[in-house]
Amino acid sequence: MTTLIVIDQAPYGSWAGREALDMVFSLAAFDQPAALLFTGVGVNWLRTAQSAKGVGQKTVEKNLSAAPLFGVEKIFAEQEACERFMPDTSSRLAGIDLVASVKNLMTQYDHVVFAG
Amino acid sequence: MNQIPDTGTLHILNKAPGHPRFVACLAAMSNQDTLILIENAVLALPDTDTVLPRQTLALEPDLEARGLSGTAEPGQQISHQQLVQLTEQHPRIISW
Repeated sequence: MTTLIVIDQAPYGSWAGREALDMVFSLAAFDQPAALLFTGVGVNWLRTAQSAKGVGQKTVEKNLSAAPLFGVEKIFAEQEACERFMPDTSSRLAGIDLVASVKNLMTQYDHVVFAG
Repeated sequence: MNQIPDTGTLHILNKAPGHPRFVACLAAMSNQDTLILIENAVLALPDTDTVLPRQTLALEPDLEARGLSGTAEPGQQISHQQLVQLTEQHPRIISW
């Protein structure tokens, strides 16, 4: 059973995105094949040089970069949303697979879960 | 910080671009109003799909959290203290 977790919520504005990250890491920890997909304003989680001390939160950059180590198979991002919010590719985290069609990607997973 | 006339309305917006209230806020603004982007709303700065009004400011800690410190124009980035001062200068405030 494969699971795709979709994060379409903006970073730091609510806990929804962070809870979805916890979910995917928990699945991976129990050897359940899981992947992450960031869409819409959710792709803003994938920008480099985040520093969340000023808003009393932890930056997720490290968690995302370590995701493969924790067994999270893939991190996908909606191409159109990345071009909209992060046209400069150097501002995006490494190791992200861009997806032209979210609809097609979803057909490749048994379960699709949205954050929040 | 730019000299902001205190006659207009101060709009404080924390919704991400695309949220219905983000669109409603921009639609409700008039020329002498000032818009302050906080929390998720600061994502409007790098958003190539959003056109922001001339008098738009953004809260520094929220920009930093999201890796956007370099995207604000000179004088567009404000601190919490400056935000408080702006609320004192404006007779009418709308928190979206």
